[in-house]
Amino acid sequence: MAFNNITLGQYYPVDSEVHKMDPRVKIVLLIAAIVAVFLAQNLMALVPVMVFLALAARLSRVPVKLMIKGLKPLRFILILTFVMNLFFLPGETPLLDLGFAVIKRESVITAVRYSLRLVLLVLFSSLLTLTTAPIALTDGLERLLSPLKVIRFPAHEMAMMMTIALRFIPTLLEEADKIMKAQTARGADFESGNLFKRAKAMVPLLVPLFVSAFRRAGDLAMAMEARCYHGGEGRTRLRVLKCEERDYWACLWVAVLILGVALVNRLF
Amino acid sequence: MLIRLDHVTHTYQPGSPFQATAIRDVTLEIRPGEFLALIGHTGCGKSTLAQHINGLLKPTEGRVLLDGKDIHEKGFSKKELRRAVGLVFQYPEHQLFEETVFKDVAFGPRNLGLAENEIKERVEEALERVGLTDPGIAEKSPFELSGGQMRRAAMAGVLAMRPEVLVLDEPAAGLDPQSREDMLQLISHLHSQGTTVVMISHSMDDVARFADRAVVMEKGAIAMEGAPEEIFRHGERLESMGLDVPSVCRIGMLLRGKGVACPEEMFREDQAYDALLALWKGGKAHGVQ
Repeated sequence: MAFNNITLGQYYPVDSEVHKMDPRVKIVLLIAAIVAVFLAQNLMALVPVMVFLALAARLSRVPVKLMIKGLKPLRFILILTFVMNLFFLPGETPLLDLGFAVIKRESVITAVRYSLRLVLLVLFSSLLTLTTAPIALTDGLERLLSPLKVIRFPAHEMAMMMTIALRFIPTLLEEADKIMKAQTARGADFESGNLFKRAKAMVPLLVPLFVSAFRRAGDLAMAMEARCYHGGEGRTRLRVLKCEERDYWACLWVAVLILGVALVNRLF
Repeated sequence: MLIRLDHVTHTYQPGSPFQATAIRDVTLEIRPGEFLALIGHTGCGKSTLAQHINGLLKPTEGRVLLDGKDIHEKGFSKKELRRAVGLVFQYPEHQLFEETVFKDVAFGPRNLGLAENEIKERVEEALERVGLTDPGIAEKSPFELSGGQMRRAAMAGVLAMRPEVLVLDEPAAGLDPQSREDMLQLISHLHSQGTTVVMISHSMDDVARFADRAVVMEKGAIAMEGAPEEIFRHGERLESMGLDVPSVCRIGMLLRGKGVACPEEMFREDQAYDALLALWKGGKAHGVQ
């Protein structure tokens, strides 16, 4: 019943070179790393990517266990990808005859490659979210998207919305827990009955939750205006994002990675 | 109906890095018909304790007994427990959700599975008790009411279940003086009609005025227990816990500090009135201005 066992975001606060990087650079390099993953045309070409990820993870001082945990919600998709590819991809060299299907060598390799690709994509993304505080992330995103302001894309507003949403998730969870308890005290039953009954039982929870969310939104808007918030225009920052030496080095290493992948592609 | 908390300990999120023990080895009896005040600093575990009384929280260790029966044992009717023990949370007006006040107050009785005419009778009685008697108010949306009225409507929602024990978590918090007084009078009235009351409060004046017995909590454990007169005799100890004594007590302490022979048995306004009047008359008799 209680919601408080949900930890929001994955940020793992330690002090490391990866943590200290400029969030803009991290976002761009994540995209570059994804490009490298897709660039790899064979299993061997994924080896430099894995080495790079291992080194970056090591440098970030995030426990390996925590990174692996990020894969857990994806286990079904991973298994599905692997199994589908295993059975349905064309190949020539038979490896194992199961009676109803023949597993072929080529399909095994491709199945491994596709699954590995998925794993790498998730691991790279979690490396970003594990080492970057949500606020820094939205800040970096805002700066990266700000050139789009030319075509009237509301980069600042979007980043502000994301920041506020992140800030209020734990608050609303707490509120939901409180309301749920209060209605339970009045004899409400959230845990039994069929789907329809349960959905109906959510009304006494959702209505007060919405009311309080709107109330909070109003209060927040008022408090922001009282402190002279008027959108992103002319707004300066407390923490100005700055590229430093470590960011340039990171860019260099990712460039080396992409070149490495391209090279291995040629060799095999 | 006797509620007994037997060596109750509650730990939030045990085994996680956020593990926190809110109450520790609390043994407490809630006697039928009494007015029990629960006082303590913010975060001392009062609210956690309150939620154990009607089984919203399950003790990590220890038992909660209702007339000698463990409420978390299999076969114990939680529904009956929730009917018998009404819990009014802090800011209960935040739980209103129905289209009309009537429907909202009827939510509890309806969950009890009562017949329609019985529900109607109970809702009308509850609304009358909290003083929401203006014509047409029952058919208004609860969100159209004023803050004080919303609080009373929410209170009616609990009263409509006709609880034998009423647990209130700071029922007067954030109300204006008049609504506050009305709320306290209502609680006092319910108590006089036989309802057992457990009230969490930060106002020592209210505790002195209404409670038969007070329990002081500190860091999740019971630090003091007894009649308000006994508790407030230990003013310094209360202050060391970040708590207060009734304002009348403070006046007494100040007067005694100035050498005035003000009696120590002075906790409520009526007592102060008598004591100060006696002092004043005595002073006059001695020719002191």
